[in-house]
Amino acid sequence: MSTQDQRGEQPESADGDTTDFGFRRVKRGDKEQLVRGVFDSVASRYDMMNDLMSAGIHRLWKRFTIELSAVRPGQTVLDIAGGTGDLAARFSRIVGADGKVILADINASMLAVGRDRLIDEGVVGNVHTVQCDAQALAFPDNSIDCITIAFGLRNVTDKEKALRSMERVLKPGGRLLVLEFSKPTNPVLEQVYDTYSFRVLPLMGKWVANDSESYRYLAESIRKHPDQETLLGMMEDAGFVNCQYHNMTGGIVAVHRGIKA
Amino acid sequence: MNHDPAIIAGALSALELAIARALTLAPVAAKELEDMAGTHIVIECTRPEIDVTISIDEAGQLQLKQYSEEAVSTRVRGSAEDFIALVTADDPAATLINSKLEIIGNTAPLLALQAILSKIDIDWEAPLVDALGDVAGHQLAKFLRAFFSWSQSAGKSLRRQLSEFILEEGRLSPPNAELEHFYQEVGRLGLRVDRLQSRIQRLAKRLREYDQ
Ligand SMILES: C[S@@+](CC[C@H](N)C(=O)[O-])C[C@H]1O[C@@H](n2cnc3c(N)ncnc32)[C@H](O)[C@@H]1O
Repeated sequence: MSTQDQRGEQPESADGDTTDFGFRRVKRGDKEQLVRGVFDSVASRYDMMNDLMSAGIHRLWKRFTIELSAVRPGQTVLDIAGGTGDLAARFSRIVGADGKVILADINASMLAVGRDRLIDEGVVGNVHTVQCDAQALAFPDNSIDCITIAFGLRNVTDKEKALRSMERVLKPGGRLLVLEFSKPTNPVLEQVYDTYSFRVLPLMGKWVANDSESYRYLAESIRKHPDQETLLGMMEDAGFVNCQYHNMTGGIVAVHRGIKA
Repeated sequence: MNHDPAIIAGALSALELAIARALTLAPVAAKELEDMAGTHIVIECTRPEIDVTISIDEAGQLQLKQYSEEAVSTRVRGSAEDFIALVTADDPAATLINSKLEIIGNTAPLLALQAILSKIDIDWEAPLVDALGDVAGHQLAKFLRAFFSWSQSAGKSLRRQLSEFILEEGRLSPPNAELEHFYQEVGRLGLRVDRLQSRIQRLAKRLREYDQ
């Protein structure tokens, strides 16, 4: 009866008219709306839940991602699916007054929380917020030094299209960093993690945010996301070169990096 | 890089914050550090095997990174003990000459940095809360306090604390037997969760029957 039993019954990626929404199959056109519902619902408590659910470790995953970006003062960084602006705030300090950070997300509620938070933290001036879809980035070709997408790609309906769109707007030599839940490298760890995400997370979601459904979706969407090697292949197919990944916390999370040729 | 980047990131951000805090209480040292802005020094630790880049940014803040592409002025290679000896030395220049540390590039920034760091009084605990958030940071701080028996260690030297930390750090990838044991424990926990779940279901069923 547990949700894990449904794993692998359905094809991993979108096919034909339907796509995955967690473990459910939904019409491709409906996924966006459903994902929006999830993030509308979690936006106001997102940061707190993030800390709670990952025991604060998401900050360390992000820290390493930023190191791998090797972003320098004066550069332009695009943080896609940037949500409440965690990465954007950090990049803002690195690129400085001469640089620019674009915080992009499809969801207005998440962006609104992000904007408030950036102001609260005194991050103003070089961060711009833009509501846009990762699959159709409205930026000129070859205009961005570095793109990050943290815990966002799994929510995107057509991941291949999104990766191609990222490749297009990056400058040659620019880099993409994808931080995303992945496949634990150890089967026992995988089981513990399953127990945690399918039983504990929705409960936490229910107690703290009174919203177990959204957190169930988050757990399910993690399982539906391509594993390390698959994502690496997808990045190569989208035209990125020198692609590599680093597992973190036993592969629960991986950060992939690719360069635009 | 065979350590988990998240664990290294945790240790480095805690250290970074501890140093930043200490610097706010030591304006002279902070000013001296500011004068070193733009310096990048790589510490190549061979045992345990970790590379750390120490960067001093424009604001004079010290940053510790496990990955960096900055052009470095100095690269120092050696074991953790060699580094600890240097950090805690009264006469760093002499220590440096006599130690097994291998230096590539300019030694001056290294000695200058050592001189600054030796002047400040670093509190290792509080920053964990900032690094990991209230809940996790507090838990970890509590654990570390117990671990280092921090309460009685006020007089303990930095050297001692550091070497204990490094010792533990060396254990970050636990030996197989220990892992096996951990996995067995986890497996047992899983079974208990399953039993608990079916018990809850039985209870819920009984409650429903009772209600009707
Ligand atoms: C789990 S949050 C991650 C937020 C932030 N990057 C972080 O790491 O904390 C996922 C975000 O992806 C956004 N998102 C979902 N589908 C998207 C799409 N097609 N294009 C852009 N953003 C999308 C959601 O609105 C949400 O803010």
